[in-house]
Amino acid sequence: MGSVALRNIRKSYGAVEVLHGIDLDIKEGEFTVLVGPSGCGKSTLLRSIAGLETISGGDIAIDDRVINALVPKERDIAMVFQNYALYPHMTVAKNMGFSLRLAKEPQAEIDRKVRAAAEILDLTALLDRYPRQLSGGQRQRVAMGRAIVRDPKVFLFDEPLSNLDAKLRVQMRSEIKELHQRLKTTTIYVTHDQIEAMTMADKIVVMRGGHVEQIGTPLELYDSPASVFVAGFIGSPSMNFIPAHATGTTLETETGMPLGETPAPLGHNQQVIAGFRPEDIRLSDTGIPAKVALIEPTGAETQLTLRTDEASVIMTTRERVTQTPGGLVHFSVTPGKLHAFDAETELTLAGARQ
Amino acid sequence: MNEQPRTLYWVFLGFVGLVISLYVLFPVFWLFLASFKTQAELAQLPISFWPESPTLDAYKALFSPTHQKGQLLDWPQLIGNSFFIAISSTVIVLVFGTLAGYAFARLNFPGRDLILGGLLISRMFQGAALLLPTYRLMSMIGLQDSLIGLVLLYSAFGLPFATWIIASSLREIPKELEESAMIDGASRLQSMVMVVLPLATPALITASMWHFVGAWSEFAFASILLESNDNKTVTIGLASFVELFTLEFQYVGAAATIVALPIMLVFFFGQRYFTRGLLAGAVKG
Repeated sequence: MGSVALRNIRKSYGAVEVLHGIDLDIKEGEFTVLVGPSGCGKSTLLRSIAGLETISGGDIAIDDRVINALVPKERDIAMVFQNYALYPHMTVAKNMGFSLRLAKEPQAEIDRKVRAAAEILDLTALLDRYPRQLSGGQRQRVAMGRAIVRDPKVFLFDEPLSNLDAKLRVQMRSEIKELHQRLKTTTIYVTHDQIEAMTMADKIVVMRGGHVEQIGTPLELYDSPASVFVAGFIGSPSMNFIPAHATGTTLETETGMPLGETPAPLGHNQQVIAGFRPEDIRLSDTGIPAKVALIEPTGAETQLTLRTDEASVIMTTRERVTQTPGGLVHFSVTPGKLHAFDAETELTLAGARQ
Repeated sequence: MNEQPRTLYWVFLGFVGLVISLYVLFPVFWLFLASFKTQAELAQLPISFWPESPTLDAYKALFSPTHQKGQLLDWPQLIGNSFFIAISSTVIVLVFGTLAGYAFARLNFPGRDLILGGLLISRMFQGAALLLPTYRLMSMIGLQDSLIGLVLLYSAFGLPFATWIIASSLREIPKELEESAMIDGASRLQSMVMVVLPLATPALITASMWHFVGAWSEFAFASILLESNDNKTVTIGLASFVELFTLEFQYVGAAATIVALPIMLVFFFGQRYFTRGLLAGAVKG
């Protein structure tokens, strides 16, 4: 097990800088998820930690030992790739034991460790198979097995579930989390899927354009997003955003519809972006008038698209919906659930906490 | 619905294939049969298709040291020379083609794609245009009439194409496999030998077969460069029959069969590697 510290990590490809000084501390045993849209630099950061990319500046340390100049094999890490990267000409057992073989461990020891890992991952029956004879989920497990066998200080996962179908993805998600709870190995996991990030992480690092946008626990990010970007990225369906301004202690839309109490002291007429989550909307007799544009039941909850004069607003409700498309409704935001972001910087001015 | 037209189509294709095969293979087969006939039988009219009394005399004669049929060439020696040249240059081409191919496929260096394209251009020169300059060059450096000289020459001719085949196939191998190997603790050389090359086996075998067959059957350069009888190759030996006053076809047949044998064996054993989808299961899919 190991702690990981990143200090001002920079990475350039020629004149183009893709990581602009990343700082990050990962505690021993922590499950950290790097999440962000494609091109945000999360994979590059992970590959830099693995030693597959050389960084242009900064320091990477594992257990306080700076490893910038070390080749991957000297970093004591294991990595699971998006496409699994299993060696096609080796059996499952050989795949899993490959690193031990390279480390010249005795064959008996290799067998023992491979068996133990296979036991954990339910791969025992498949040890003599070749990768081409396995299903996607099984290949995924072999890739994890290969990482486990090493007993490294840090596990690195690079979008390991994105090649699986939806159902399997959910299942493997739980398996990886369970595995982490069992082994307690420090894990850095890259994904573009915010649900994976939310469900698995102890700590989420939201990245955008080579910067860290916000670091926090899943619920911290959900309840107190630091920017419009994080607020919109975390949570599904996304947070609703409406341009607004402060009138006294009330936040009003452009047309003067009251949204609720300002979440923080704001200057009079200060322009902000108001944000509220779909589940924080109530239909009520008074409030902002809107037309029901779309009703999408998912079973447990129903998603409604409401159209006001100014914007489209998504709401979700666990109640059965009696409205019909085209019908007129009024809605209001649950008190205390309003966020406000600066209209210029898009950074939070404060907002809902709980 | 259109089952029948499809079937007809395949029957037609099969028929065309059969005709072409017969057209191409009949002379070969004829020569093969001739090698089991006697001189008298070959001379008689009407010509018999199957040997009347099959005999291995022609083969025995080729391999008997006391055999004097007006020809001075020692066939076991020729075969040995040809094997030496073909195998040595194949090994050289394979080793250097693999190293170069790996560099082209995996390393970034200025002018990489230009050079790789240039390798193909070198294939566009007609060998015949190079005969004289090559002869001059080899005499100047004292490598004419030398098996080593021919090995080096064939290696130089074969290397560009082999490199190209190997580089193209290495490019198909996902980079992650090597990255994974390096994280597992392999050096670049180890990841190449233990992960990449086993997966490139079909390409390596294809390149080797291609080169071996070419080197084994090369005639033009061998005939101008090799002078002493001790150094000659099987292709020169075959040609020498024609220079004799009496053309004894059973010997030509026997010799041609022997010369063709290694090539047939190479294809027989190499063929299955062409189609083997070794990469299946490496990545998703």
